[in-house]
Amino acid sequence: MKTILKAKNVTKTYGKKGTAAYTAISDLSFSMNEGEFIGIMGPSGSGKTTLLNMVATLDPLTDGEITIDGISVSSMNENQLSDFRSQKLGFIFQDFNLLENMTVFENIALPLALQNKKLDKIQASVHQVASLLGISDITEKYPAELSGGQKQRTAIARALIHEPTLLLADEPTGALDSKNAATLLDTLADLNKERKVSILMVTHDPRSASYCSRLLFIKDGKLDHELFSAGTREEFHQEILAVLGDLDRRPVAGVRS
Amino acid sequence: MILKLALNGLKKKQRDYAILFTGLIISIAVFYMFLTLSLNKEFILQNSVINNIQLVFLVGTVMLSVITFFYLFYTNSFLLSLRKKEYGLYELIGAKKIQIRRVFQIETMAITGISLIIGLILGIILSRVVSWLLMNQLNIEFTQFKAVYLPAVFWTMIYFLVTSFITSSIHNLWLTKISIIELLRSEVQNDLLPEKPKNAALMIFLGLFLLAIGYVALYFMEILRFIGLFTAPIATTLGTYVLFVALLPIIVRKWKRNKRVNFKGINSFTSGQLNFRLSSLKWVLATIALLIALSAGAIAGGFAFKNDAFTSIDEHWQYDATLYNPGAAEMAVLDSIPVEEQLTFRMKLNDEFIYLVQEELNASPPLIRDMVTYEVVRPDPLPEKLDIEDGNQIVSDQWFTALYAINPALEGTRSTRIVPLEEYELAEGEEISILLARTSDFSAHIEEWQKLDELQLNVYPDLVSGFDPEIDSVATKYAQFKTQYAIASGTFFMGFFLGLAFLTMMASILMFKILSGANNDIRRYDSLRKLGVRRRLLENSIYREILIVFLFPGLLGLLHVFIGMRMFTFIMDEPYYRLWVSILIFLAIYSGYYFFTVYLYRKIVLPKH
Repeated sequence: MKTILKAKNVTKTYGKKGTAAYTAISDLSFSMNEGEFIGIMGPSGSGKTTLLNMVATLDPLTDGEITIDGISVSSMNENQLSDFRSQKLGFIFQDFNLLENMTVFENIALPLALQNKKLDKIQASVHQVASLLGISDITEKYPAELSGGQKQRTAIARALIHEPTLLLADEPTGALDSKNAATLLDTLADLNKERKVSILMVTHDPRSASYCSRLLFIKDGKLDHELFSAGTREEFHQEILAVLGDLDRRPVAGVRS
Repeated sequence: MILKLALNGLKKKQRDYAILFTGLIISIAVFYMFLTLSLNKEFILQNSVINNIQLVFLVGTVMLSVITFFYLFYTNSFLLSLRKKEYGLYELIGAKKIQIRRVFQIETMAITGISLIIGLILGIILSRVVSWLLMNQLNIEFTQFKAVYLPAVFWTMIYFLVTSFITSSIHNLWLTKISIIELLRSEVQNDLLPEKPKNAALMIFLGLFLLAIGYVALYFMEILRFIGLFTAPIATTLGTYVLFVALLPIIVRKWKRNKRVNFKGINSFTSGQLNFRLSSLKWVLATIALLIALSAGAIAGGFAFKNDAFTSIDEHWQYDATLYNPGAAEMAVLDSIPVEEQLTFRMKLNDEFIYLVQEELNASPPLIRDMVTYEVVRPDPLPEKLDIEDGNQIVSDQWFTALYAINPALEGTRSTRIVPLEEYELAEGEEISILLARTSDFSAHIEEWQKLDELQLNVYPDLVSGFDPEIDSVATKYAQFKTQYAIASGTFFMGFFLGLAFLTMMASILMFKILSGANNDIRRYDSLRKLGVRRRLLENSIYREILIVFLFPGLLGLLHVFIGMRMFTFIMDEPYYRLWVSILIFLAIYSGYYFFTVYLYRKIVLPKH
């Protein structure tokens, strides 16, 4: 199994020189294999989004190293990082981050257009990914005309069209109702199983987390617990709830060796 | 407490407030600059060739006031958009509507007050600098013009305070109606989707048709006269609006339809931005196009008037200097310039007659402008015998003109007798020589003509009995030019001021409209950055987008000027003279605003490096 993401002793401290520094992530390491669906869980302020942003190359590391597809992201300059994001990564955000001034088609096509792909190729890919996500009939609409679920599926289509190495999702169900959330997670799970898309998802919702194949629990900037899905989703859900309950009961962060 | 809240509001969001203040200060400075001129009746009346110049300034003041009113309305709604969310929060924690309205009113008035102080200072500096530059350029002193003009200070303050009060009151009315939840959510508002244009083809046709009518009326103003004077502004204005409203969305749509271009790099985003922007700005853009035309036209008109002082003087005076009994001093001056033609005539003068030598006149007939054909010609030779009727010699019309050209100071003061040389020798009277000199370019040697005029002042008392150099003057080309030029310079000065004020105001409105929407765009640029778009590409997209927004009104405005200047043919010779200078001024100001807008916009939407 190929390792696509490797985080080694990652540390992130905020605060300017001379002020009290705040450590969001401290000495955290984990790795991710191709085709995995990893969830990052933890209470608010635990550092999950900080971790995701560092993997997404949006936030520089204070210390340590992150390697994606064999490339170390900490050594790249701004332009290289931009190119890296546009080629290797796909993003799904809680608030969709669709560009409201562009149609669904244009939104989905953007990553390929940025790579200056041929028009025929762009059109074929957009149609393919749009039908995969069931949004073929709304491609000429603007985001303002869509429902939340449709927006998020458009966002997924945009995140997938350039076949990224890694799909990053930050609370993707946060703005959706439970029915739409379930559909979305089914879609993500399908993509992971059938198309071997590697997904790294940040969530605080146990129900969403139960779709993952592996879960990382973060508390106070450190990796607190790791959980693998073995049985059915419902069993996994119960396990997650148990771990979360346990996490809450310990007032001081436990330290894993 | 309320005051503290209000001032706290100012401290936050410094960048947005900087934009707000810049916009207000510019408009105050421009308004003041304009008033220093339009309120100064003495200056206007003494320096104009246009009879109804006061009406022009009255209309200008009304127009500027109306534009400024809308501008202040925009700035005030921009302020409100900055504060909405916070007002919602205050309301949420129990502040009463009346308190919030008071906060908003205090904020508005405080901002206007501060801007007034800075704006007036800037306005005074600008008026001084511009007037100083112009006076230096024109070599003229306008003593009546005052850069620090108290009536202008007073009325600027009154206007801005009252208007701020009105606009904030209108917004307060809106605040009373709106619910807390709308205030709180106001930041996540979407732009309105651009409507699909209806009957676009028909509208474009109508727009072009109206413009064509307007242009024809402008072009043939000389023939159409009053019909043209009414048709031109109405048809051109309507045409501009209709065309912008119909054409702009269509252009972007067509653009987007070219998929090969649209799906290349970040183009789809740029065109998407334009699609929204052009359809929300189309009314503003059309207004700007018209006012650009007016202001560039005013500057160009001023230049043309100034030039007219030179060209029209050449129409009436073929010879640049007419010298009586020129001495060594006069000859020295003449020797210093390239004289193309120099004619000398003799005349004898007594109480009753002026005698001229027929042979001399026939040998070198001077150039004149024929009053019938309007061409520059030399008169045909005089007949041998000239009839005398009622004591006056009868000469052809051309020679009649020529005699005045030869002897502008004395012709007409007594009866002229053109006689053969022998007869002339016998005639009694004082002999005077007259020298006519012509160069290829009168305007190139103004200083020399002035010097010659001064030298001649010593000769005139001998020629004309009772001539007092202090009071009297003799008609010379230079003297007439000087009077014409002084008036034309005044007109130029006013046209320049008027045009500059409107142009600055226009560009500033456009800048403000673009920047006030920039906050909504922050999210978009952030998304693109996250998706991996290079900063360079984002910057390019901004440059192109804003360029196109600036381009449309600029282009149509210039076209209006090109055609519209022809209208002046019925009061001057070369209305297009040095049009490029005013176009250059327009381009300098306009592109200055363009780059400033891009700079500020980039600062808002792109994070620091």
